[in-house]
Amino acid sequence: MFEPRPKEPDYAFLPDAAHPENNCHGLPIETVPDGHALRDQSLNINGDSAIGDNPNRYKQHGFYFTADNCIACHACEAACSEKNDLPAHIAFRSVGYVEGGSYPDYTRLNISMACNHCDDPVCLKGCPTLAYTKFAEYGAVLQDPDICFGCGYCTWVCPYNAPQLDDAAGHVSKCNMCVDRLEVGLKPTCVSACLAGALDFGVIETTPEQRQQVATQIPGFPDPEITQPNIRFEQTQSLPASMSRPDSMPLVYQKPSSNKTNTKHQTTVKTENFEKKWSLKKLRTREDPLVVFTLLSQLVIGAFAVMFASDTFNLGLISNSSHPVLYPSLLFALLGIETFALVLSTMHLGRPHRFYRAFNNLRNSPVSREVASLAVFYNLLGATAVVAIWPESMFGISADSIASIGWLLAPATCISGIVALYFMHTIYRIKARPFWNHWQVLSSFYGSMLTLGSLFVGLILACSNWLSGHSYSAIFEVLALPITLGLLLESIGLLFHARDMKRSGGEGEASLHKQTTEFSKTYRLRNYGLVLSLMAVLILSLVSPSGLVGLTLWLLLTLIVAVAAIIGRALFFALVISTTMPGAFFWRNQGFVDHARETGLAKMSQVGVLADKH
Amino acid sequence: MLFGRKHKNPIQIADKGVVEWRYATCGYCSTGCSIEVGLDDSGEPVASRGVADADVNRGKLCIKGIYEHELFRKTKGRGDQPLMRAGCHDEFKEVTWDDAFDHTAAEITRIQQTYGRDSFAIVSTGQIMTEEFYTLGKLARGVIGSNNYDGNTTLCMSSAVSGYKRSFGSDGPPGCYEDFEHTDCLLAFGSNLPEQHPIIYWRLVEALEKRKFPVVVIDPRVTMFAQMADIHLTVTPGTDLVLLNALAHVILEEDLADQQYISAHTEGYGEFGALAKQHDPETASAICGIDAEVIRKVARMYAKANAAMSIWTMGINQSTHGSDGVVAINNLNLITGNIGKPGGTSLSITGQCNAMGTREWSSCSGLPGYRNLENEQDRQKIADFWNIDAEFFPQKRGMFMTEILPAIESGEIRGLWLIATNPMTSMTKTGLMRSLLEKLDFLVVQDAYRDVETNQYSHVYLPAAVWAEKEGCFTNTERRVNLIRNVCAPYGNSKTDLDIFNQIAKRFERSRKMVFPETAEGVFDELKQLSEGRMLDYSGMTYSKIESSRGLQWPCNDQTSPQGSPRLYSDGIFQYPDGKAKLIALPFIDDNERPCGEYPFWLNSGRVVEHFHTRTRTGKVANANKFSPTPYMEMNPEAADKLGINHGGYAKLVSRRGDAVVMVQCTQRVAPDSVFVPFHFHECVNRVALGLLDPHSRQPAYKQCAVGIEAITDQQAAAKTNVERRSY
Repeated sequence: MFEPRPKEPDYAFLPDAAHPENNCHGLPIETVPDGHALRDQSLNINGDSAIGDNPNRYKQHGFYFTADNCIACHACEAACSEKNDLPAHIAFRSVGYVEGGSYPDYTRLNISMACNHCDDPVCLKGCPTLAYTKFAEYGAVLQDPDICFGCGYCTWVCPYNAPQLDDAAGHVSKCNMCVDRLEVGLKPTCVSACLAGALDFGVIETTPEQRQQVATQIPGFPDPEITQPNIRFEQTQSLPASMSRPDSMPLVYQKPSSNKTNTKHQTTVKTENFEKKWSLKKLRTREDPLVVFTLLSQLVIGAFAVMFASDTFNLGLISNSSHPVLYPSLLFALLGIETFALVLSTMHLGRPHRFYRAFNNLRNSPVSREVASLAVFYNLLGATAVVAIWPESMFGISADSIASIGWLLAPATCISGIVALYFMHTIYRIKARPFWNHWQVLSSFYGSMLTLGSLFVGLILACSNWLSGHSYSAIFEVLALPITLGLLLESIGLLFHARDMKRSGGEGEASLHKQTTEFSKTYRLRNYGLVLSLMAVLILSLVSPSGLVGLTLWLLLTLIVAVAAIIGRALFFALVISTTMPGAFFWRNQGFVDHARETGLAKMSQVGVLADKH
Repeated sequence: MLFGRKHKNPIQIADKGVVEWRYATCGYCSTGCSIEVGLDDSGEPVASRGVADADVNRGKLCIKGIYEHELFRKTKGRGDQPLMRAGCHDEFKEVTWDDAFDHTAAEITRIQQTYGRDSFAIVSTGQIMTEEFYTLGKLARGVIGSNNYDGNTTLCMSSAVSGYKRSFGSDGPPGCYEDFEHTDCLLAFGSNLPEQHPIIYWRLVEALEKRKFPVVVIDPRVTMFAQMADIHLTVTPGTDLVLLNALAHVILEEDLADQQYISAHTEGYGEFGALAKQHDPETASAICGIDAEVIRKVARMYAKANAAMSIWTMGINQSTHGSDGVVAINNLNLITGNIGKPGGTSLSITGQCNAMGTREWSSCSGLPGYRNLENEQDRQKIADFWNIDAEFFPQKRGMFMTEILPAIESGEIRGLWLIATNPMTSMTKTGLMRSLLEKLDFLVVQDAYRDVETNQYSHVYLPAAVWAEKEGCFTNTERRVNLIRNVCAPYGNSKTDLDIFNQIAKRFERSRKMVFPETAEGVFDELKQLSEGRMLDYSGMTYSKIESSRGLQWPCNDQTSPQGSPRLYSDGIFQYPDGKAKLIALPFIDDNERPCGEYPFWLNSGRVVEHFHTRTRTGKVANANKFSPTPYMEMNPEAADKLGINHGGYAKLVSRRGDAVVMVQCTQRVAPDSVFVPFHFHECVNRVALGLLDPHSRQPAYKQCAVGIEAITDQQAAAKTNVERRSY
């Protein structure tokens, strides 16, 4: 058991205050009823089998933050990092701020934020390895770094930046609510360390002494509807109409002028001071492997679909009988590409050797579902390829009987691929990342599937025909349709996406703003690429050029399509802005992190920025 | 409700394996927090925590204290071997302690014999223990005999010392933190408690949660403290004295003064009243920038409160009339009868952990125990106690630190011994400092960190133990003597400062008939004997009693105050021979540099909570340093816009002294004609700051000067310059 200090002061102890039965979302505050199997179990903290005597052990607890009082002295952050022995580049609790007004009528509102141990823990749902558990004890959402394989998906879905992906350690860790202290009736260490009467803790919906409000939101705090977080606020001092962030996020919090009754600040885009730039370097992100992985997987699935359709509907492009060598070779090539893509996505993990844990959470995690469905596709593709090269007889099974399985295999592979892409898209439908939470992700994935898959198969067949002296115009006559369809899907999706992001306001619009300023030139290059390739497909399929010239033209088109696709996908990852907490000028400021890496400041480990690995 | 895993692993929570906690007092600022350092089973210091039943901090610590255990073994740049070299451009060589001591003593002797006794100067600190200060004083005054011996406390506290002496006849803050619990009105001048003294701020917040009283903050910047205040007075830099005189004017004019107290306990009312009369709020308003009506309101509020208190820090002290500012605050409290009563006081919030210890016992400005060189009885008393000839003492104090360093230029000072102080970063005109230190015949740097910037120019480097690698006492802002138990052995082959002083003393013939106790507790006995019956009476203290009481406030003697004394002057008797405090008339002379066409901005400097002084310690504690790892400047966004300077980009600061490159943080916290730069960083604000000296205290006016600001086109080059100027 945790050992309190001798003569521990009153402020460190949890009060036993009266609380309502249900929280503000209508959920019971009691986590499990009397007699429930989850009662009276030890938390086994560091293997200690004792059970704490906290009388409110089975009630949902949460932090209480008096925003008016916080002075950003960092005591809570330091006490937390000290207790949890954290390296400087991560923190379970961070203080950021928003500021507004003009001198001397100026207000700075500091916000200290850790994990909110949500009623609807999106981290827990999202984690493919099942590293998260919401405990009946205190309603604490705890994460086990020994299970985590470092995919970082929880850091994407959490709106509060609570899970900390430690790129040095290769896994995530997060606030543990100091359950060791709670077990002996003490408040968490951050609360006990607070020097301004700002941070408190207790059974949720209880109001600490001398406080009036139990608000669920303050400016800068994401919409509580996303996760139903267990944090309550007091913020009574009136704030300037516009509050800005000191970090590099292009967001401001604005009181709507038109609606006087609505006094809540709303997240809007900071539009000043932005030049139109290329920012090509910033296209490279930690998610680079995912750019390649998603595009290649879409290409493979698309290519297979084209081959399958051609065979099934007798389109005369390719079949095992018409191309006894090329057909299986292509299948194995696709298998090879997909293997490469999967390995790449695995290497993107902090702990690649734990990749098999990706299937742990099929019930809730879109990552698990994506991995599982891709695994199905991958295996079926492998089987299809093997069947395609089945000799007359092997292992006592004849080619004929195999062919009958093949007849079932091919459609199953095709369907599983399309399903896998659907699941792949659900990964990105994250409420805390409004820029991604749009159907455009799906249209883009299917668009890429059609365009890239068709071009891949088309080019190879055309080359083969050209080498053997045959005409290849028929191939592109057929494939022009899916290529055009894919490009159209992509373009229409983008149009609607831009329109909806603009309307949505907040982080989505901010991403869009970033797209049209910081990445403006890159973004336009991609759009020109899309339009150009659409026109080129139409012209090329109408003119139908032949020979080496035609082939070169189609190859050129493919290059343009590929470049546009890569830029587009890289933008997709580079542009997203989470509905995360405001940072400070140095700490939790992505702008400073980038700067420290670029200039070499990060080489001094005490700067608190992990030097870039690549 | 979702629960996740059915089969749960044991919960892993970091356990540092502390098996023993050792008592100490924080070694950063002067708040004087009791802190325990946790040792694991191999004896390594691995954790820090506040002492729950200590009256000062009641279990709390600020960010610096929370990570203080990292100083012992985890901060880079610690010195572990004495180093020597012939010239400051040669390479250092590791030497034995004996060689280092012998050579140092020989060089001191040589310089003194060649250029005179006072040509070797000693500049110490506010960071080491009281017992060490006392021993250094004995060595400097009684053995080496240089009158050019001072502490870096001249950079932070000498205005408070001087102001207390002028008003009350002696140094010594009369109040305590508990006064927050009793006061009915608080004025805070140039004091940003949340950043500088977060634990004192917490004590104030606790008092306010129990009982609301008005808080008035006087500060040109909208600090968090200003934001929390009921009234924030955005005073024009360098004009506090005018505001204070105007407050006195209103109080006297409206007959709100405590005439009974004035006549019973003060002297000089006539002249003071006449001067205050000239400072009507309207005239004052034009100078200090505070509306006349607001001045009247604050004056009335203050005078009418049952008990009212004033606190101040560097905003007052670091000014060309810092000492006058302190006296003016004392005046305000004297005319309202607010000295020595619960909730009524003039409380200077001190800077360094043991700034008080050096004021009391180091002999820098006089002789131990608040004794003066100018006083024949004091000289005789100490000479007898140390067993030396009283004639050996000079009869007047020598130069201040801020005079010693410039005196190198004229050759008056030939040799220098720096102890735990880093003028390369802390003094203004960095370039001039370099050429001064280069000029020295002999420079000894004694510091826990060998990468302290000043060490670039030393001939001998003596690696010292840090904080609780030693044992001894600190005195805090409220006169509380608190104990640091030895937590672990000095790092590598470093030695305690006490040991270093004793060893050097042994190298001089003159020390043979004197006593230099080897243990800190042995030295403490001398302090008790020398303080008995005086205002700063230690006679009722012992190490074990200090530890069990979590510190004792002097005066503390066995007869009248065995548990110490929260306040001074409660009886209205002051330290002047006539027992009366002095009301002093303070005409305002505006002698500071002011913004002009070429240099249109006020430059203000100050502290941030995560750093201490020149960052030799906190710059290496990653979990503190990360909150401001590189220097920055707060600038008003409108001013920045006009100059084409971007938030997060670099700009150039220029003044009549030089230039600096600094990252810009645009914020409305500062006025459009003002910028603020933290002072902690090497080769930054002090390349441009002015630092004129106060006539009484010789403290530099770091707080205000005029600068120009220029946009930088080549941001990459600016970033490179910034990186190159930092080694931590």
